Amino acid sequence: MTKFAWAWTWFAFLLALNIAIPWFVLTHVEKMSGAFLFWAVWVAVAITSAFVIFLKWREVER
Amino acid sequence: MSAAFWVWFGIAIYIAVGLAIAIMARRQLGAGMSEFFLANRRLGGFISALTYSATTYSAFMMIGLAGLTYFSGVGALGFELTYLCGMFMMVFFLPRFWLVGKKYGYVSPMELLSDRYQSKWVGATTAILALVFLVPYGAVQLMGVGYLMNGISQGVIPVVAGIIIAVVCAIAWSSIAGLRSVAWTDAFQALIMIVVSAAVLGVVVAALGGFGSFFGKLESAVPGMLTVPTAKGAWNINMFIGLALPWLFFLISNPQVSQRLFIPKSVTAMKQMLGGFLVFGFIYTLISVLWGFSATLLVPGLDKGDLATPALLALPIIPTGLAIIVMIGITAAAISTIDSILLTLSSVWARDIHKGLINPKVSEAGELRVGQWVIPIMAIIAFVFAWWVAEKPGLDFMIAPLSAAASAGLLMAVPTIFGAFFWKRATATGAIVSCIVGAIVVLLFQITGWKPLGWWPGTWGFIVCVVLFVGVSLATKPPKEKAEEFIGYLREALKKSNFI
Repeated sequence: MTKFAWAWTWFAFLLALNIAIPWFVLTHVEKMSGAFLFWAVWVAVAITSAFVIFLKWREVER
Repeated sequence: MSAAFWVWFGIAIYIAVGLAIAIMARRQLGAGMSEFFLANRRLGGFISALTYSATTYSAFMMIGLAGLTYFSGVGALGFELTYLCGMFMMVFFLPRFWLVGKKYGYVSPMELLSDRYQSKWVGATTAILALVFLVPYGAVQLMGVGYLMNGISQGVIPVVAGIIIAVVCAIAWSSIAGLRSVAWTDAFQALIMIVVSAAVLGVVVAALGGFGSFFGKLESAVPGMLTVPTAKGAWNINMFIGLALPWLFFLISNPQVSQRLFIPKSVTAMKQMLGGFLVFGFIYTLISVLWGFSATLLVPGLDKGDLATPALLALPIIPTGLAIIVMIGITAAAISTIDSILLTLSSVWARDIHKGLINPKVSEAGELRVGQWVIPIMAIIAFVFAWWVAEKPGLDFMIAPLSAAASAGLLMAVPTIFGAFFWKRATATGAIVSCIVGAIVVLLFQITGWKPLGWWPGTWGFIVCVVLFVGVSLATKPPKEKAEEFIGYLREALKKSNFI
């Protein structure tokens, strides 16, 4: 699997979690540690994943 | 001294500083379309990150999103963070836009599409899509400024005066030095936005006894606010997808932000722009949502969510000075979005409609003159729209629904953009048909309020659009040579810088 395919697969997985966890798993957790915390951590993971990829970009003379 | 005096005083300082920054930016202004609309593709990472942030985040955040949170709870956080998660796609699109922008000299995202599909009608169609859906969106920002100034001055400043101030600032920031003045004033405004919103949230949370007490009260005092679907039915999965889908692709569907992908001067600047924006977006989103939650505790029972921010700012716990600074912060968020929209739409008109369709032989200087004339014309159209809507009873606060409707329309260009970069078989006919029919579906469903199966207009429009794009492309002839050359160039260039 190429890096390109991995990155799209990972992104699709994150989007699937966006629906599955808050909408089906945490529906009765009426606390900040429920959907609020999930979404905050979830997007932090997405942001970190983007950092992992783009920090490897390098300058090239064009 | 009255609240109105301090509002005028705050606005005067804001305008004076913004004007000084714009005039300083003009000293670096060179000649030509690329210089005026893209700062000659030479912006550093820090300014790029701040202008991207200020352009993306509008009055929607502290009024619309806070109001949505107030009205509907934690689902608003998930909806807005879906946009930020979608920014992961920048690892694919940022390098691609940047590389082809440099190689082929594109000024607007529509010009990229025209060239890639070898059809000026693709550029014109997506340009009209942007004009139709972005002008009302810009107008709503103007109204937000008008109502906010009116509210904080306790009715002394008329709504229309606030709208005029916003229009004049937006014209000035975008006309004085094009993207250079927009980017520099955006940077100034982005810093105001984040600092004042964090400060006022701090004051409110302190008044509620600190974060521990704030969260505790939220869990016990307002049942149903921290789960989806919400108990009172404000959020359901169809609404979530309907609102979040256009937001997910905002980074490529909205030309005022996708045009920003052409401007970083280097790979390092690109990395700084993306990283800086992601951090800014994360913090600003959490602040806006927590602001909305604090309103649920402190000003319960409002009829409309969009009234939450003005009501919260009117509380005695917020000092008048801080309320006025927050008003300036929200005004800055609105104006920094409007001026970018004006600048992008004027470049799109000049390049993709005037040069593309009306006068292909126009010189670059003539094209630039057209673009510069279009800035005040677009601003006046947005002003008239805002004024007209502001007179309508019951439509005083409509930032969230109109923002979502605008993005749902712009979403129809997304399959065309994906096809340009990733699918050699994509055709101009597929692009044009999918954009037009998808936009008609969205508009019809928006106007009639029809939601078959409970799905939102953007969801239906997007499904129709994707099916048509693929189906019509497979049935028509692609620009094979250009597709090979365009995608082939990217394949090689991406490898060199370790892009994926």
